[in-house]
Amino acid sequence: MTSLLLLAKISWRNLWRNPRGTLLTALALGLGLALLLISLGLLDGGHEQMVADGVRLGTGHVVIQSKGFQDTGSQELLLPVSAVSAAEDMLLSAAMQPLVRGVSPRLVATGLLSSAANNDGVRIIGVIPRQERTVSLIPQRIVAGSYLNDDKPSGVVIGSELARKLEVKEGSKVVLMTQPVRQPGTEAKTQPEGEMQSTLLRVTGIFTTGLRAVDANVIHLPLPVAQTLLGLPNHQVTQIAVVLGREGDSLAVATALRKRLIGAPVEVLTWRQSMPMLAQILRLDHAFNYIMNGVVLAMVGLGILNTILMRVLERRYEFGVCKALGLRPIQLAIMIVGESLALTTISLALGLLLGLSVQHHFATSGLDLRWIFKPGLNPALVFDPILYSRLSLERIVWSVGIVFVMATVLSFYPALKAARTDLPGALKVL
Amino acid sequence: MVDRVAHLFSSKSSIATLTMQVSDENGPRSLSMKIWSLGDKVLVRINSPQDQAGTAILKIGRDIWYYLPKTNRTVKLPASMTMTSWMGSAFTIDDLVKQSFLTRDYSITTSFEGKRREVAVYEYTLTPKPDAAVVWGKLVLQVRQANLMPAWQGYYDEDGKLVREMTFSDYKNTDGRLVPTRLVMRAADKPNEQTTVVYQDLRFDVPISADTFSLPNLKQ
Amino acid sequence: MSLLLLQLAWRNLWRNPRRTLITMAAIALGYAMLMFVACLMAGLRWQMIENGTRLVLSQIQVHAPGYYPSRSLQKTIGGWKGTDVGGLLAAIAADPRIEAAAPRVYGYGLVNSGHRSAGVELMGVVSDQEPKITALHTRIIKGHYLSDRTPTGVVVGDKLASTIGIQPGSQIVLLTQAADGSMGNDLYTVVGVFHTGLDALDRSLVLMSLSSLQKLLNLTPARIHEVGIKLHDIADATVVAAALQLRLARIPPVRVMAWPELVPELANYIQFNRSITFVLFFIFFLLAVIGIMNTMLMAVFERTRELGMLMALGMRPFQVIGLILAEAAALAAASLILGAAIGAPLLWYLQVHGLDLGGATGEMVSLAGVVVGHLWYGRQDFPAYYEAALGLAATALLSAFYPAWRAAHFRPTEAIRKV
Repeated sequence: MTSLLLLAKISWRNLWRNPRGTLLTALALGLGLALLLISLGLLDGGHEQMVADGVRLGTGHVVIQSKGFQDTGSQELLLPVSAVSAAEDMLLSAAMQPLVRGVSPRLVATGLLSSAANNDGVRIIGVIPRQERTVSLIPQRIVAGSYLNDDKPSGVVIGSELARKLEVKEGSKVVLMTQPVRQPGTEAKTQPEGEMQSTLLRVTGIFTTGLRAVDANVIHLPLPVAQTLLGLPNHQVTQIAVVLGREGDSLAVATALRKRLIGAPVEVLTWRQSMPMLAQILRLDHAFNYIMNGVVLAMVGLGILNTILMRVLERRYEFGVCKALGLRPIQLAIMIVGESLALTTISLALGLLLGLSVQHHFATSGLDLRWIFKPGLNPALVFDPILYSRLSLERIVWSVGIVFVMATVLSFYPALKAARTDLPGALKVL
Repeated sequence: MVDRVAHLFSSKSSIATLTMQVSDENGPRSLSMKIWSLGDKVLVRINSPQDQAGTAILKIGRDIWYYLPKTNRTVKLPASMTMTSWMGSAFTIDDLVKQSFLTRDYSITTSFEGKRREVAVYEYTLTPKPDAAVVWGKLVLQVRQANLMPAWQGYYDEDGKLVREMTFSDYKNTDGRLVPTRLVMRAADKPNEQTTVVYQDLRFDVPISADTFSLPNLKQ
Repeated sequence: MSLLLLQLAWRNLWRNPRRTLITMAAIALGYAMLMFVACLMAGLRWQMIENGTRLVLSQIQVHAPGYYPSRSLQKTIGGWKGTDVGGLLAAIAADPRIEAAAPRVYGYGLVNSGHRSAGVELMGVVSDQEPKITALHTRIIKGHYLSDRTPTGVVVGDKLASTIGIQPGSQIVLLTQAADGSMGNDLYTVVGVFHTGLDALDRSLVLMSLSSLQKLLNLTPARIHEVGIKLHDIADATVVAAALQLRLARIPPVRVMAWPELVPELANYIQFNRSITFVLFFIFFLLAVIGIMNTMLMAVFERTRELGMLMALGMRPFQVIGLILAEAAALAAASLILGAAIGAPLLWYLQVHGLDLGGATGEMVSLAGVVVGHLWYGRQDFPAYYEAALGLAATALLSAFYPAWRAAHFRPTEAIRKV
């Protein structure tokens, strides 16, 4: 027992006999860990952001809509009022509250928006501003004017591409024209559809999401205005978009809603089902990240390997001397392992310090990628040019674990070798 | 006076025969048509040139149907196509079939009296009422003092920029009313292009049977 | 003198073969990995550009000036008089880098079948020329592509087909505003249905013969909107476009645009993808710094006595620095060669067999508006390999600078005495 303690003391002091070497090694290992943590953080963060943003520019983590809407997109498919209340009740219940971040009922239709200069087909989304703010990204991407609010009952918010085409700005007049929805129960041939309605609106705000399809086509207006325009006396909506606190809860929430609404002609979809494009992009990004992480890990591994092997090799002479002085092979092995454990611990501490602080900087201020892109355009990967890092505890533990294991295992081999160093060979270094 | 202005372009029913000449970068071309209107229903039929004869548009309320003789199909026009230009002219389909509800949508004030373009006119500024579903910032109408006939109408956006203008001339007495029989419409950003409408025949408050305005009738 | 220095440097490296080999192995493996990733990413970029342009767009487009982006029906090449289409195509094809060119006409309108209509984009192509520049004809899932035998045939996307309920054999009416303002309309027969995976195409593109569309739009045969071009090597796109612009500039006046101008979203993504590779370079260099600096420091301090002796015998400090730097450079060079040797078979495998990410990505993925398969082939990215190699050489020299500087400052008298 005492010999173990003695060995430990010797191990520790050995480390500091060559402070520069030790520190350099520790720095190398620590840097490796830091790099791993930083790159994991940025890649994970980018991925999560893509989900969060993508989902919030679309139909949320979970969406409830009339059966068949996903396939046809027909504006005649509306949610039965009973289903809407049942869903909303459930989403507001105590069980769901902690999971749900926002719920927004919307009316979706197509129409024509005209200005004095021009006109264009648009996708109409009637919303309740207060609720839409908790769900959609558009209220946060306003570049001129402001988003809808209750004291501007005939306001409309349009994308910057659309504003450019119509040559309008904040405060401009526009007229929205659309086909009212056929009421259920009427025959197509015998009863003509309702008259085309038009209504005057004022542009209260202009947004830019970076997605050309959205900026050129989507408009938001107050739900009551949209309902009147489409001739819906029962205050119906097309869909309810739900945004959750954690993407991981999507399936559970969707399943619960499905159970509650069983029998109703509705479809409850998770974002993977309602936005398969996004799901695919994310899978691709995941694959990318996998490769990137793999390469970074491999490089870090190589760096560690290099550092440790060299460190051990240079000390063959020293080990030779130890053995000549009577140290038994096993004791030598333990000493070496002990040193390496100590060194690794110091390195990990350094690495964590460096890595976590840089990662924290990226987590709060983000990494501005704008210098990479030509100004004005975002890649269609739907993300903010400012990349925020997100590092989960799991990842940190995993990274530290891997580096620790690598460093330790890598020092076993030389430890064994050193224990069997032949005396004459080692001493010959001199 | 305000009333007069408002009623300049309206009547309970009318039948008009006219030619429309379009001149733009594609060269000049000409169409002749006949238009029936009764209340909020309008029927337009093209008579020449030969390859477009028989094409007809029926409007009831705000719904518009298009009859295409070549393929013998009747198509309901979606909202997105109502603002397209009528036959490549400076008028939109919407212009052609819409009623002018000047008093309903605009408040009218007299803004000038005197000479404009060598002619003595009363000038009225029409400002859209707050809820009116019109895109214009204002309309300006100049009425000749001599015969109280419209001479010029300008359509402005909200920034006060002129977007298009219509000139009226060739006043003739038809069916007991004095009307301008020549209208020229021009878009402000395309000064070399214009559309000219000349009325050969124009009758007001004529009895027209309601089934003139029906889908089957489109095909005649 | 410098040759002697190099020889000395090289031999010095091998005085401690194990250490040298370990560092070499690390750097070589790192370099091989970089090459692998660069190759994979280059392959992905190439695939995306190909897919983005191959379906419908084509790699370079020629229009009348002012046609793009408003795409006004009237702005045909050569104005309303049109142009000698055959002559224009021949003039374009004169460039040996161009594989093929074909004319196109566009319109917007309504497709009507029974009671259902939908707004569509009409594209008129020449059925035996278009397949030479694009690949939509390979995506037919029902019926067949356009052909001369069916001059009034049209091909539509599967989403459009299901929305208005048509299939091969169905009769449809196309309604559009013709060039003279009249309502162009005519009957057509659906001959084929395609599926691309891209919503915009599957939902709103109607492909028909060029002459039919010209007739519908009341355009003379001399009037076309665009010439699409395919190159032998898409990497030449921007260069060829510029050359073509100069060559064709007179009659008729045209504007030549390469794909980065046509799909800037894709171009932006490509640039982003390149930068990711640079980040990896950066990490590699960082680790190389540590490795090399460590190695050289040890090499230097081990030979304190020897270096001291050399300086005592008259070697100048700058020569010492030179020696150390030369050692580092030799180490780097040897590592790079080893790395290239290790990497070459990997690159070959990537290029020939590709990397199958089937499990990870699923069947097809749409990225930046482009569909990408799950099998990624590599493509050699020699510029990237050279840049990485040069970067490494520079890094090696930089890392060795501190040890070299220390070595040069050894006091010969003290150094000799060191044990």
